[in-house]
Amino acid sequence: MLATVLCGCGSSASDAKPADGSAEAAADRTKFIMGIDPEYPPFSYLGDDGAYTGFDVEVCQAVCDYLGWELEVFGVNWDEKLVQLDSYECDCVWSGMTILDSMKEAGYVLSAPYYDNTQVLVVKSDSGLASSADLAGKDVAVQLGTSGEALLQDDLDELAATFGNIVTCDSFLKCFTELEGGGVDAVFVDMPVATSYVAEHEGLTIIDEALGAEQYGIAFRADDAELCAQVEEAVAALVENGTYAEIASNYPDIVNNLLFLAD
Amino acid sequence: MSLMTMIVKMSEGLGKTCAIFFLTVLFSLPLGMIVALLRMSKNKIVSAVTRFFITILRGTPLMLQLLAVTYGPYYLFGAGVARNKLIPVVIAFSINYAAYFAEIYRGGIESIPVGQYEAATVLGYSKFQTFMRIILPQVVKRIMPSVTNEIVTLVKDTSMAFTVSYQEMFTIGKQIANSQTSFMPFLVAGVFYYVFNLIVDRVMGRIEKRLDYYQ
Repeated sequence: MLATVLCGCGSSASDAKPADGSAEAAADRTKFIMGIDPEYPPFSYLGDDGAYTGFDVEVCQAVCDYLGWELEVFGVNWDEKLVQLDSYECDCVWSGMTILDSMKEAGYVLSAPYYDNTQVLVVKSDSGLASSADLAGKDVAVQLGTSGEALLQDDLDELAATFGNIVTCDSFLKCFTELEGGGVDAVFVDMPVATSYVAEHEGLTIIDEALGAEQYGIAFRADDAELCAQVEEAVAALVENGTYAEIASNYPDIVNNLLFLAD
Repeated sequence: MSLMTMIVKMSEGLGKTCAIFFLTVLFSLPLGMIVALLRMSKNKIVSAVTRFFITILRGTPLMLQLLAVTYGPYYLFGAGVARNKLIPVVIAFSINYAAYFAEIYRGGIESIPVGQYEAATVLGYSKFQTFMRIILPQVVKRIMPSVTNEIVTLVKDTSMAFTVSYQEMFTIGKQIANSQTSFMPFLVAGVFYYVFNLIVDRVMGRIEKRLDYYQ
């Protein structure tokens, strides 16, 4: 047990499975626990009424309504999300989550991608910074556990090497607080999050340069392929009957990149 | 990532962890004495105000105080957020630990029998001399175990600097854990903290023994 936990999470989950856990036939499922980052608008966030909302939450609610499940939304600690998924704190991670190769390698079941994303740099409008090249020697904030952080370590490590410091924060909001307060010079963040934040806060600009293309999907535990298929079918049905498009219309910032509505 | 790379990367953060630790000890130990003396002041207002601040510092989470010191000035007055996070981190830690040390000092000072002050007065010692030459040396000996306790806690609390994005050892560990989907960095961090505290324990044990000159 210890050994498997040490090497990764994917397949070791069965040891932690509760007696009446997901082994129950999918048909018997009455409750579906959705794991979200509670600070990730517009995909998932705490709404004005104090309940979790966002595009992903609304779609998941519709899926649960369709399948006759009761939805429970669970806020995960984003950099521990997969551990929390494995320990049955939630049944899926569905919250503007980028599909990473490392997740596939670790054995997680991933849904078909539903969103095309890019990463962008957000700077202060009066900073005069206009491209990623201008950021040489500057400090850049990124949220811990996001694909942006992974990109800077991996595909974009050459760009990252030109930055002065990379500051990892535990929420994207802290990244922006750092930026607005002058603690860093730029924030590296998902396009939709940047768009929605910049729209609500003055004095910030998105550098018009898409860095790193990637796609969002839903992650399930290694032995939950059936559950994943069920959810995918339900989403397909919602796309078919127009509910999906209806929900998407409430989120103009992201609607253009939703893969299921592309055609 | 190999275990060795992991350890090397995390060791880089260990320097920052040590910086928080040593600077906090350096500032909070004397600051605690000042706070303790203010707390025991005969002036009712001074003592009440000090007491009030101690209740705030001990009654709210250190994490919250870290956030308040780092981002509070920005949210309240629009002042800038510090680039070098070590400054707000050490300020928050020092103030917080000074409050705890103050209460430990006070406990020690008040445990000395009043008779000693009376005897000192009879022998012609001034108040200051009494405190420095008679009371303080005894206090230091008595409070050592409690101080060690706090210092051991401080070693572990340094990991909280993560909340304000200070890249100390545990923050780097979390980053590695995240990108490698591995639990190993947490074990490495655990070993680092344990060894650190083992050293602290030894050093404090030595000091305690040195002070035990009457046994």
